[in-house]
Amino acid sequence: MNDMRPLERIVDTDNIKISAKGCQVYYGDTHAIKDVDVQIEDKTVTAFIGPSGCGKSTFLRCLNRMNDTIDICRIEGEILLDGENIYDKKVDPVQLRAKVGMVFQKPNPFPKSIYDNVAYGPRIHGLAKNKADLDVIVEKSLRRGAIWDEVKDRLDAPGTGLSGGQQQRLCIARAVATEPEVLLMDEPCSALDPIATGQVEELIDELRSQYSVVIVTHSMQQAARVSQKTAFFHLGNLVEFGETGQIFTKPEDPRTESYISGKIG
Amino acid sequence: MADATANSPRRHGSLTTTDPRTKRRNAAEARFRAYGIAAIGLGLFFLVVLATSIIRSGVPAFTTTVVSLEMNVSQAEYDEAESGMLKTAAYTKLFITKLGAQLREAGIGDDVQDDAIERIMGKVGSDMRSFYQENPDSIGETVTFTLNASSRVDGYFKGRVNRETLVDSRFLVATDLDVVDALTEAGIITRQFDWGFLTGKDAGVDNPGGAGIGASVIGSFFMMLVVLVLSLPIGVAASIYLEEFAPKNRWTDIIEVNISNLAAVPSIVFGILGLAVFIQFAGLPQSAPLVGGLVLTLMTLPTIIISTRASLKAVPPSIRDAALGVGASKMQAVFHHVLPLAAPGILTGTIIGLAQALGETAPLLLIGMVGFVAREYPGGFIEGFVEPNSAMPAQIYTWAARSDVAFYEKAWGGIIVLLVFLLIMNAIAIVLRRRFERRW
Repeated sequence: MNDMRPLERIVDTDNIKISAKGCQVYYGDTHAIKDVDVQIEDKTVTAFIGPSGCGKSTFLRCLNRMNDTIDICRIEGEILLDGENIYDKKVDPVQLRAKVGMVFQKPNPFPKSIYDNVAYGPRIHGLAKNKADLDVIVEKSLRRGAIWDEVKDRLDAPGTGLSGGQQQRLCIARAVATEPEVLLMDEPCSALDPIATGQVEELIDELRSQYSVVIVTHSMQQAARVSQKTAFFHLGNLVEFGETGQIFTKPEDPRTESYISGKIG
Repeated sequence: MADATANSPRRHGSLTTTDPRTKRRNAAEARFRAYGIAAIGLGLFFLVVLATSIIRSGVPAFTTTVVSLEMNVSQAEYDEAESGMLKTAAYTKLFITKLGAQLREAGIGDDVQDDAIERIMGKVGSDMRSFYQENPDSIGETVTFTLNASSRVDGYFKGRVNRETLVDSRFLVATDLDVVDALTEAGIITRQFDWGFLTGKDAGVDNPGGAGIGASVIGSFFMMLVVLVLSLPIGVAASIYLEEFAPKNRWTDIIEVNISNLAAVPSIVFGILGLAVFIQFAGLPQSAPLVGGLVLTLMTLPTIIISTRASLKAVPPSIRDAALGVGASKMQAVFHHVLPLAAPGILTGTIIGLAQALGETAPLLLIGMVGFVAREYPGGFIEGFVEPNSAMPAQIYTWAARSDVAFYEKAWGGIIVLLVFLLIMNAIAIVLRRRFERRW
């Protein structure tokens, strides 16, 4: 970040969406993320797994600069989105977050109507010229969030009145309404029951056709079910990164193997 | 039973018998509940005592004793009264003569002396004169005057004055009370609700019957307007900055501690600060609601900042995350989402701060709102801020300090008016809270 040399804008393939190089994160004196290099592909679901406190959520929040809101958090190294360093001084985090949407662990709809929840992002980014445009965006987003059929008759009802699973899908619809390119999901199913989890997982698989999805999860089964690439974090290090199938069947690192087989974590 | 326990391997006794330790614990709990109920009972008892004593002492202030009289002042009498040196005395004389004549005509007390009537009536001349000055058309016509009797006659009806207390008095003598009784029987002297107390202005020390709290209510109103207009935006803006935007470092810590300390500074300190800064340095007018409002703003700001910050803190961080996550700027997140959710708390804190300021007396002592006799209403809206006036608590203080017992009663009445205003404000706070409260 302090390195002011011209950026190397070499992207290996068109497929790489996000590329982190030598990323270090400090919380005060704590070194939370140690020298992480990772390349996240477009139109792919990438899962971050690892024991609690290993830094996977911290790293996820670096990808749309949500850590900026934490005063004591400091980031070094670079994270490139389409070849541009998102920690460059010229980058406005607000524009970045419109491109990199986020879904949080606990469903957090605004205490407003379902319609306003989805319409808020497009409104502040000026994506709709008029009410009709906005209606179209809201419907499209709610359809992508696989919740349209359940709420189309009560768009004026408060978003907080929905069930937990519906709230989370509403939050996903809200995140996709700003037409992001990357969707970050921080344990999106940890507060949901198995049925709602199944619905959200199905949705994630559908979203893959249009977005690059990064999901943090505690459930290894979930990572295996929804992701194509998996990254295993341990004590702030990125231990292993590769094809999901390979990570779960033939892990190279002994730490990955012991985590997957339940010996650590 | 004992055998069974002895034979069985269980380590605890039967569940149906309580062991000594449990008994002690239960007794401690019962004692604690008793203390709690006793404390609440004591509090309620004092509340009832306070309320009854306020109502008992204050309610008489809302009634007054009046003399109603139909009379006709001719142009000649008017001219004669206006030509004299002591004009109001001439009117008083006119009134007394006419009342005396009517009494004798009606056959009440043939032996009633005019000076007895003068003692009963007090100074009615000025009221009469101002009536004829404002309504010159009424000269020569029959007009019904309803004028306050003297404060001692009023006191006779309210139980403050009786024949024994009047033995040495030269303002009202015991035999006058017989006349008063006769006039009451004739329906000339009556008691009625005293609208003048609610709407009137303060009067001089010799005229408690004419004193009202109205002008100082207006003074308080203008002061509260200044407080609201200044402290709400400044307080809310300061808290939003401190809570949402300011970096957390040594400086903001110092500011935070100082704001909390400021809330505990005695109000008289703000008063002397106001005297030094607003009146002596800035040259603002003395006794003006503007200055009072500025001083009370200083006092109210910490309260508003503390309550606003508390309600901003109570908004779950997930709402901020949600807004930032869809690409809202920090300010959009605060103004679109956090502030509306914190609004009920902010409103409640503001109204409670205003209610505190409304009842505050000490700072007003120092900026001259106490010595001032609020004889006039402000001339207009702007004048309401800068013309000298009193405020409700300052007026109550002034009345309580005057020697005439009738003013003491007025002070209690003023307290009732003040408490009614406070109750209304608290009720508004509750209603707003209920209305704007949203769940998340």
